[in-house]
Amino acid sequence: MVEFTVNGRAVALEGSADKPLLWALREDLGILGPKFGCGVAECGACRVLIDGESVPSCQVFVGDLSGARVVTVEGLAQPDGQLSAVQQAWLDEQVPQCGYCQPGFLIAVTALLSQIPNPSDAQIDEAITNICRCGTYPRIRRAIHRAAATLSAG
Amino acid sequence: MPRLITRRGLLLTGAALGGTALVAGIAGIGYLSTVDVDGLEGHVDGESAVLNAFVVLHPDGSVVINVPRTEMGQGIHTGLAMIVAEEMDLPFDDRIRVDFPTEAHPAYSTWFNVLQVRPEEASGPVVWLGRRVLGEMGFIATGASGSTMGLWHPMRVAGAAARQMLIAAAAIRLGVPPSELTTAAGVVRHEATERVLSYGELARAAAVLPPPDDPVLKARSDWRLIGRSQPRVDLPAKVRGAPVFGMDVTLPDMLHAAIRHAPVFGASVSGVRNEARVRSAPGVVDVVLIDGRHVAVLARSWWQAEQAAWLLQIDWSATGAEAVDSAQLAARQTEALATGSPHDHIDEGDAAAALAAPGATVIEAEYGVPFVTHACMEPMNATAILHPDGRAEIWAPSQNRVTMRSGAARGMGWAGVSARETTLHITMNGGAFGRRSDHDVIAEAAYLAARHPGRAVKVIWSREEDIGRGLYRSHAAARLRAALGPDGLPVAYDALVAAQSILHSMGGRNLPVTPGPDGDVLTVEGLEKRHYTLPNRRMRSQHVPSHMPIHFWRSNGFSFNTFFTESFIDECAQAAGADPLAYRRALLRDSPRHLAVLDRVARMAGWGAPLAPGRGRGIAIEECYRSVVAQVAEVTVAPDGEVTVDRLFCAIDAGLVINPDQVVAQMEGGAIYGVTTALMSAIRVERGAVVETNFHDFPVQRLANAPAIAVEIVESGEPPCGAGEPGVVPAAAAVANALFAATGRRLRHLPLTVTETIGARRIRSMLPPDQA
Ligand code: FES
Ligand code: FES
Repeated sequence: MVEFTVNGRAVALEGSADKPLLWALREDLGILGPKFGCGVAECGACRVLIDGESVPSCQVFVGDLSGARVVTVEGLAQPDGQLSAVQQAWLDEQVPQCGYCQPGFLIAVTALLSQIPNPSDAQIDEAITNICRCGTYPRIRRAIHRAAATLSAG
Repeated sequence: MPRLITRRGLLLTGAALGGTALVAGIAGIGYLSTVDVDGLEGHVDGESAVLNAFVVLHPDGSVVINVPRTEMGQGIHTGLAMIVAEEMDLPFDDRIRVDFPTEAHPAYSTWFNVLQVRPEEASGPVVWLGRRVLGEMGFIATGASGSTMGLWHPMRVAGAAARQMLIAAAAIRLGVPPSELTTAAGVVRHEATERVLSYGELARAAAVLPPPDDPVLKARSDWRLIGRSQPRVDLPAKVRGAPVFGMDVTLPDMLHAAIRHAPVFGASVSGVRNEARVRSAPGVVDVVLIDGRHVAVLARSWWQAEQAAWLLQIDWSATGAEAVDSAQLAARQTEALATGSPHDHIDEGDAAAALAAPGATVIEAEYGVPFVTHACMEPMNATAILHPDGRAEIWAPSQNRVTMRSGAARGMGWAGVSARETTLHITMNGGAFGRRSDHDVIAEAAYLAARHPGRAVKVIWSREEDIGRGLYRSHAAARLRAALGPDGLPVAYDALVAAQSILHSMGGRNLPVTPGPDGDVLTVEGLEKRHYTLPNRRMRSQHVPSHMPIHFWRSNGFSFNTFFTESFIDECAQAAGADPLAYRRALLRDSPRHLAVLDRVARMAGWGAPLAPGRGRGIAIEECYRSVVAQVAEVTVAPDGEVTVDRLFCAIDAGLVINPDQVVAQMEGGAIYGVTTALMSAIRVERGAVVETNFHDFPVQRLANAPAIAVEIVESGEPPCGAGEPGVVPAAAAVANALFAATGRRLRHLPLTVTETIGARRIRSMLPPDQA
């Protein structure tokens, strides 16, 4: 039995110790925001926050998560539904196309801005390595700067 | 969803095109001069008012707009909903919901893509007939950049008709003539008495009135949505991780299937050596041979199924292709260029004579591109169930209802099952790029569901199956020749392309009748250069077969031919000692629409302004999907040979634009798709099998190496044109031409890279040392 929290809710998983968190979230907990894109830590579509750090959930085994705080894209908004600054910037810049990669980007950028509130382009390039096959990168860059500005203003 | 009624609905059900000519001749007589819009009748469905096939009003004031096209990132649900909302005078806010209707109403048919006639310009018996047949077949597909072109007129008319029915209902309710009523923001208003009725109040009464014979469309000057960027209807859910992609379909007690396809295409399974071992792996429920060709492992969890599938030791039959490799495949093409018997597409004037004339300045060059694949972000998947009562249901991210249906039937057929009725649910698509018009994964899911009746089965391909065992854009090679006149401009143009036919390969897998391989129109897209004034023009294609499965791939033939031809035009310009922009301007002297786009992109890019050493600009233009698109790429070549596309400028004339911000988004995304392909993408073959497996060896651009992109929309009087694919089309040539400007080296083969990746996250865009 492994106990941890997902988006603030306590969960206990039995018999999934050697299952990657991605598949435990999707199959056992019905949390479908994190996406399967590659399974090999290349694309970032599966990223979640584990104790505040952005991690590809296809690479983390449930057995190693005892006591961890996991946040998925579903957990970024306030409990009352209000979007986070990053999500709002994503809407303001009309970032997503198909949207499949975006949960991973939203997580990665949330983590980046918590560490570097006002990242330079070079710092963004360094930190955000997810893949978007639709090519939303120009808007992602704008949205990161917009979210950073909102967060530092407010 | 309720069955909708059609006026001329079932006339030609089940009839084949040829056999119905007589029926059409008689029944079609009233439709020879104009082709009106189907599905304008309404009806009441419980509390809801179905105003027509495209609009449903609910008692809570919400409005469902039926958009029968797949949302795969291109924003089509928003753009087409805007058209209806415009004509209906609906506020474009969160009361509007867009549904992909499950019912295949004839009004939704994609006949435009097949017949290549805009609905508003369509007339004549052939169009009428084709449209009826395609409509009754449920031919609903999303592709060829044709959704807005094909539905612009029908959805406008549907919106206008709905508005008039609401006015008519209000006129009856208020006892005033309809002419005294106006509409705005979801209400009907009687100015004189200041009475106002909401659409919601009127909907049920309106739904049972006859639709107007000739719905009156709004004047352009009254538009308040069309041409003004609106936020996409699907994005609020997409930033919350809420939309349901095929990957997210979850049904009670569902089985998950992982799958293994033959490494050498065309092989079948001769045996599984360790089936008992795989069956005993944790969670495994079944191991199933599909059509003798694939092996599926079913488990309660996809992770478990995939883990067990890795254990499979499969023996594959010999196909004769085991020795094929990339070098051989490329050699076949070169040989086909030299010794094939090509199909003649165009032979105008006498290009051969002009090229052979004594003293002619002949420019000749050969180009090539490798196989590439789509690598949609959402791996291939489908979910199916065969209910105990014999009905089947399929959920899939699909671009094509017809192949989805045929895939379901084929898969069930492998199990000897013929479903009583098959309901198709098209989910959100995590990218598609042409890939999801094939029925492969759908047939697999249907078969597995038929083997486990009453239980839903979801098939997911791993990324390795998608990249290494999937479907491909053909490799291609071309020989281009031009004879330059005394002014340096071509007097003759002779183009020969060798590639594997898309339609032959795709049709062989998906259609009841396989189109012949020769003269495939998709193979020559982008080769014709109709917009250039070329007095003598010849265009030929040579089909080069291989064992590789070829499929639609965002922009098809344009994706290679425009690279070939627009590189070649630069080579001609260089031979003539002319600037590439000035040279194209001269060639476009009879094409003002194209010239305007070219000039715009040149101005955006500051064409002609000096650049530092090691940097260069390249330009390219194409007409595709009725749009005209031009790009300028600005590149930097580092001393170590690394290539960076710093900036890309794009101008597009897409005709009338519904939602400008989404045309911009398509140009951005298309350009990145095109630049990625130009710099990085190659599928290689060794021992008959694809070498690449995942994003580490089939790399794509990431944030760090994606160019900054500027897009401008050029207005013209054209009706809506295509926007999903044009952004890809000029990118490779623009980059190759920029590399020439920067280095003086002409790279005639994609990808424009030779050396290997340094570090996992680096792009592979290095010129070889001797060319740096
Ligand atoms: S699925 Fe985890 S990084 Fe791609
Ligand atoms: S929005 Fe489609 S992959 Fe990123």
